[in-house]
Amino acid sequence: MTHGAIVEGEVVVRLTVNGEERRGIAEPRTLLSDFLRHELGLTGTHVGCEQGACGACTVRLDGVPVRSCLLFAVQAEGASIATVEGLATGGELHPIQRAFSSEHGLQCGYCTPGLLLTAQALLEENADPSELAIREALSGNVCRCTGYVGVVASVMEAARLLREAT
Amino acid sequence: MKPAPFKYLAAGGVEEAIAALAEHGDEAKVLAGGQSLVPMMNLRLATPAVLVDVNRVAELSGIAANGSLELGATTRQADAERSAAVAARAPLLAEALRHVGHPGTRVRGTLGGSAAHADPAAEIPAVLLALGAELVVHGPEGERTIPADDFFVSTFTTALGPDELLTRIRLPSNGDAWGFAEVARSHGDFALAGAAVAGARIVLFGVADRPLRAREAEDALSGGATPVEAARLAAAAIDPTGDAFTSAAYRRDVAAVVVRRALEQAAAR
Amino acid sequence: MSRPEQYVGARLPRFEDHRFLTGRGRFVDDLEFPGMLHAAFYRSPFGHARIGSVDVERARALPGVAAVVTGGDLRDFPPFSTGLPRPEVRANERRVLPVDRVRFAGEAVVAVAASSRYVAEDACALIEVDWEPLDAIVDADASLAPGAQLLHEASGSNSFAHIELEHGDVERAFAEAAHVFTKRFHHGRMHAAPLEPRGIVAQFEPGTGTFTMWTSSQIPHLTRSLLAHMLGLTFENQLRVIAPDVGGGFGQKVHLFPEDAVVPYLARQTGRPVKWIEDRYENLAASTHAKEVVIDLELATDADGRFLALRGRYVGDAGAYANYPWTPLVDPLCAAVMMPGLYDVPAARFEIDAAYTNKCPTGAYRGVGWTSGQTAREALVDDVAREFGVDPMELRLRNTIPPEPYVSATGCKYDGGSYAEAQRKTMELVGYEAFRERQAELRGHGRYVGVGFSPFVEPVGWSGDMAKRMGFPFDYLDSARVSVEPDGSVTVALGMHSHGQGHETSLAQLVADRLGVRIESVRIVEGDTADTAYGTGTWGSRTAIVGGGALIRAAGEVREKLVAFAAHALEASAEDIELHDGNAFVKGSPDRSISVTMIAYTAYFGAFVGGSRPPDLEDPALTSTRSYQPPESYANGCVAVVLEVDAETGKVELERVVAVDDCGTILNPAIVEGQIAGGIAQGLGGALWEELPYDEDGQFLAGTLLDFSYPTAMDVPPIEIAHLVTPSPVTEGGIKGVGEGGTIAAPAAVVNAVADALAPFGVRIDRTPLTPSYVLGLIRAAKSS
Repeated sequence: MTHGAIVEGEVVVRLTVNGEERRGIAEPRTLLSDFLRHELGLTGTHVGCEQGACGACTVRLDGVPVRSCLLFAVQAEGASIATVEGLATGGELHPIQRAFSSEHGLQCGYCTPGLLLTAQALLEENADPSELAIREALSGNVCRCTGYVGVVASVMEAARLLREAT
Repeated sequence: MKPAPFKYLAAGGVEEAIAALAEHGDEAKVLAGGQSLVPMMNLRLATPAVLVDVNRVAELSGIAANGSLELGATTRQADAERSAAVAARAPLLAEALRHVGHPGTRVRGTLGGSAAHADPAAEIPAVLLALGAELVVHGPEGERTIPADDFFVSTFTTALGPDELLTRIRLPSNGDAWGFAEVARSHGDFALAGAAVAGARIVLFGVADRPLRAREAEDALSGGATPVEAARLAAAAIDPTGDAFTSAAYRRDVAAVVVRRALEQAAAR
Repeated sequence: MSRPEQYVGARLPRFEDHRFLTGRGRFVDDLEFPGMLHAAFYRSPFGHARIGSVDVERARALPGVAAVVTGGDLRDFPPFSTGLPRPEVRANERRVLPVDRVRFAGEAVVAVAASSRYVAEDACALIEVDWEPLDAIVDADASLAPGAQLLHEASGSNSFAHIELEHGDVERAFAEAAHVFTKRFHHGRMHAAPLEPRGIVAQFEPGTGTFTMWTSSQIPHLTRSLLAHMLGLTFENQLRVIAPDVGGGFGQKVHLFPEDAVVPYLARQTGRPVKWIEDRYENLAASTHAKEVVIDLELATDADGRFLALRGRYVGDAGAYANYPWTPLVDPLCAAVMMPGLYDVPAARFEIDAAYTNKCPTGAYRGVGWTSGQTAREALVDDVAREFGVDPMELRLRNTIPPEPYVSATGCKYDGGSYAEAQRKTMELVGYEAFRERQAELRGHGRYVGVGFSPFVEPVGWSGDMAKRMGFPFDYLDSARVSVEPDGSVTVALGMHSHGQGHETSLAQLVADRLGVRIESVRIVEGDTADTAYGTGTWGSRTAIVGGGALIRAAGEVREKLVAFAAHALEASAEDIELHDGNAFVKGSPDRSISVTMIAYTAYFGAFVGGSRPPDLEDPALTSTRSYQPPESYANGCVAVVLEVDAETGKVELERVVAVDDCGTILNPAIVEGQIAGGIAQGLGGALWEELPYDEDGQFLAGTLLDFSYPTAMDVPPIEIAHLVTPSPVTEGGIKGVGEGGTIAAPAAVVNAVADALAPFGVRIDRTPLTPSYVLGLIRAAKSS
C-alpha cells in the first residue's frame, strides 16, 4: 500500500506487532481492532464498544496507548504496535502482570489487556505515581468488575516492583 | 457496529488533501484524531465515501512560539496539554484540555479536529473563542484566516468550506487572567455547562448550538460589575434547550454558576 | 513451595489470572471456525409499530450474504413462553422474530448471515420495512391504568402478575400506630452492561444431527435444557452448550434471547458455523434492563419510633416482553418479599405488579429487586429519623433484629448474622462522631458533606427453598463431580460458570482442603455441558454455597475412599487416618504414610503398582457426583458512603465508601472483597450516573456510551472493606454467599448521604439517579417552599 494513492477494496497492510513483522489483508474500513484480532489472530485485545469509550481495545501504537477500535488498519501501515501478547517475555510475566495477579486487579479479565498497556505507559513516564495520578491515567479504561480497588493496588505494586528492579 | 465502505487517502501534504476535498466535496471527510469521527462512522451516523487522512501531513503538526503561539491543526490534545509553550502562553487551554475526553482519547484527538468538529459542548472551541484565536485555513484559492468569533457557526458547523482544511491555530500572545469551570455528570463526560474566561472575554459552552461570547456580561464586567452580576447577565442572555437527561432550566442555572466561578478564578490570579 | 496450613480462608492469587493477563483468554469472539459466517440483525427503529411488508431482496442479493431470515420465515418456530406455576401469573409469549408487531426500539426483526459482520450490516442497511408506528406506553403506571392499550392481547392484561401477601394484622397496626410515614420512590432503570457483550457461535453437525453452541452465558446447562427442543431437536443431549471465558454477566447472561434461537437456526440453514457478537448499541438497547420499580411504602411506628408494620406497593416496569425464563417479577416481587430488611417488623402487607411497557424487557441484574426495595426502605428510615429528630443509626439499631435466626414478617428464614454488629463496625470505620463534627463545621462554611448508611440482609444461594420464599415455585439441580485421576490429581466438574468470580481458585481451595491434596493438583472444570455435572449456573450469589455444598458432599465421599485405601495400606483404622498436602498418614505417626498418588494408582491399577484394593470396599472408583439444594440463607452487612454535594450545581462528589460484609465462611478473602467492591461500583453507577430514558414514542435515548456512562476510576472513590464472619448454622460448611450485597446496598447509602448532606434544606429524595439536574431541582424546590 503506497501513500498518496486512493485506496479502495482490499489491500495488504504491513506493520510490526510485538517486535515481529506481520502483514494482513484489510479494506479501508477494517478497524485495527478487528485486523489484530481476526486477521493476525491476536485475540488478547478485546472489543467492548467500538465507540472509543471503554478502552478495552487499547494497544500501543509507536508507544502511545490508543483505542484500536477508532483506528483503521490502513492507518497502521508501517507502524509498530504492542499488544498484551507482547508483555510477557520468554514465558516470564512482566512485573505489571505479576502485580495484577498478586493484588487481585482482575476478575473477568476482559478489560485487563487494555489496562495493562495503559498502566505500562503510565509507569514509563511516572515511576512513582500517586493514587490520584493512577486513577486519572486509567480513567479511560472501564472495568465493570473490580470497582478499581484491586486495579489501583495493582498499579501501585507494579510501580514498586519496577522501581526495585532498576 | 461496523462502518460503511469508503475509499481512503493518506494525504502526504496540504495541497493533496485539499485537492481530494475539492474533488469529492460533501462525500469526503477529513480524518485527524478520529476520536469523534470514527465512533460516528462505526455507528453509521457518518458515512463519508472518501476519508482523507491528514495524520501524516507534516505541515499540520508542531507547536511554534514566536510572537504568537501557533499550533498545528493535528497537534495532539495530550501534547498541547503537556507543552511548556502552551502552559506559559495559554494556560487556559492547558487547563481546559484536562477536561477533554480521557487521557486515552487525548493522545490521538487533535486541536484542529475538535475545532472543526464543533461540538457545542466541547471545551476546545470555547477556549479558542475565549482566547480570540485565529484559525488558519487552506483552500483551493489559498490561505485565509478566520477569527474564532466567526468560525463556530452552529452545531457541528463551522465557517470551513467543503474544500477547505484547517491548518493552524494561532493564539495571540496574552498574559490575561483566565478562568475555567465546567459541570459534567461524571469525570470525562461532556459538559452540561461550562465557562472559559480570558481577559475581558467570557465564553459559555454546552448551553447553545455553539460556544457563545457573553457580551452583555463582558460589557458589564469592564464597567465594573462583580462576577455575580456578570454571571447573572450571562445566564439571562442564553436560551438553552433541555433533553431527556438535563433540563433547560438546569443549564441556565448552572451557566451562571460556572461563569461566576471562572471569573472568580481569573480575579484571583 | 510454601503453602498455608489450610487453603480455605487464604488470600491466594488466582490460577485463572495467567491466561487473562497474557491475553490468552478464550471469549466467544476469539473463536474462529473454517467457513464461519457472521450474523447481524436488522432492528426496529420504533418503540411500537406494526410490521407491514418486509423487503429483503436487495439484502439477499448482496455479494457475501448467505441467508436472510424474517419472522415470517420463522412463523412455525416455537416462541419463548415465560410463566410460573402460580395462579396470578399470565404467561407471556415472545416470538423469536416478530411477525406483525414490534414492541420496543431495537427489537430484532430480520437476521442476516454473511461473510463478515461488515457485510452483514451492509445487508441490513438494504432491508426495507413498511412500518406503521403505534402509540407507545413508556410508563408502568400508565400501562396499568384502566383503558390502557393492551401490549399483549393474549394476556388480557398489561400486568404479568398481580400478587399480594399479608402477614399479621396490618390494618390494625396502622390504625393504632402513633405515627405513619409514607414514601413514594421511583427507582431508576439500570443496566448490567458487562464489558463483554453477549455472543454466540453455533454449529450444526448434519452427520449426527447435533448442535454445538458456544455462548457467553452464566447458565450453560439451563441454556441447553431450554433451547434444545425449541431448535427442533428430539433430545436435549443433541445440543452441546459451551460457555467459554465470559467477560462479566451480572445476571444479564442468565436469560435466553431471540438471538440464542436464531443463530443456531442460521447455522443449520446455511450448513456453516455462524457467529453473532452483540455490539454495544444492541447490548444497551436490546438485551435486558433492570431495577425500575415504583414503590409506595408506608411505615407505622409507635411513639418511640419502634416499627410496627409495613405496607408496600411495588410496580415493576417489565418492558416489552417477559424476560425468559426468570420473569419480570424478579424486580417487584423480590423487592416486596425483602420489604422488612433487617428490622423487627411484626406485620407486613405487599402487593406487586409487573407492567408491560414499550421498552427493553427487564430482567435479572445483580441484586434484582432487593436493590430497589432496599433503597426505598432505607431512604424512608432516614426520613423517619429526621422527622423524629433522632440519629438515623440510633433509630436503626433500636429496630434491628438480634443476631439469632429470625423469621421476617414476609416469611424469610434468616439464619442469623451480625445485623447490629455490622452497623456498629461501619460507623466505627467511618469515624461517625468525628464526621458529624466535620459536617457541622463545614456547614458553617456553606459546604455540604453527608454520610449515608445502608444496612442490608442479602438473600444468597438462590436454590429451591429461596426461590419459593421469594415467590418463584422452582427447585434446582446443582451437582458437582469430584474425581481423583490415576496420578492423584483431582478433576472437579460442576454446573456453575465463573465470569470473574475466580472459581478455579476458590473452589479448588475448598476441594484441596477436603481431600488433603495440594491445590496445584486440583483442576476446576466448568462451562461445557458435555463435560460437567448438571447445574443451573452462576448468579444469585450461589456458587460458593450451592456449588461449594455439592463439592463438600462429593469430596466427602471421595475422601472416605481415600481413607479406606490408606487404612488398608497402612494397616490402621480409618479414624486414625489424616490427609494433608497430598499424603495420607496415621495420626501421630507421620512416618507411616502413603501418598495420594500411590492411593490413586492402587485404586486404578492395583497389582500393577504393587498395591491392593481394600477387600470390603464396594467400588474403588475415586469419584462422586452429588447435588445440593441449601435451605434459605442470608448474608448481611452494611455500606456507608461519605460524599459532598455542591449545592450550586447539584453535583455529588464521592469521598469514600465503607463496607462491612458477613458472608459466613470465607473461601478467599481477596475474591470476596473484589465482589463487594465491584458490586458497590455498579450500585454507585445506578445511584448517580446511569440513565436509560425513552421518549414518549418509545425511542431509546441511551444507545451509546456517550449517554450511558460507565463509572471510571475517577468516579469510584476508595472503598474500604471489613469482614465479619457468622457461619451459617444451616448450610454445608457454614458458607453463605457473596456477590450482590454491594449492588443491593450502595444506592441507598448514596441516597441517604445526599439527603443527609442537604438536611439543612429539608430535601426528600424520591428517585434515582441523583443527577446534578435532579439534585439542584430538589434544593431549589426546598428553598422556595
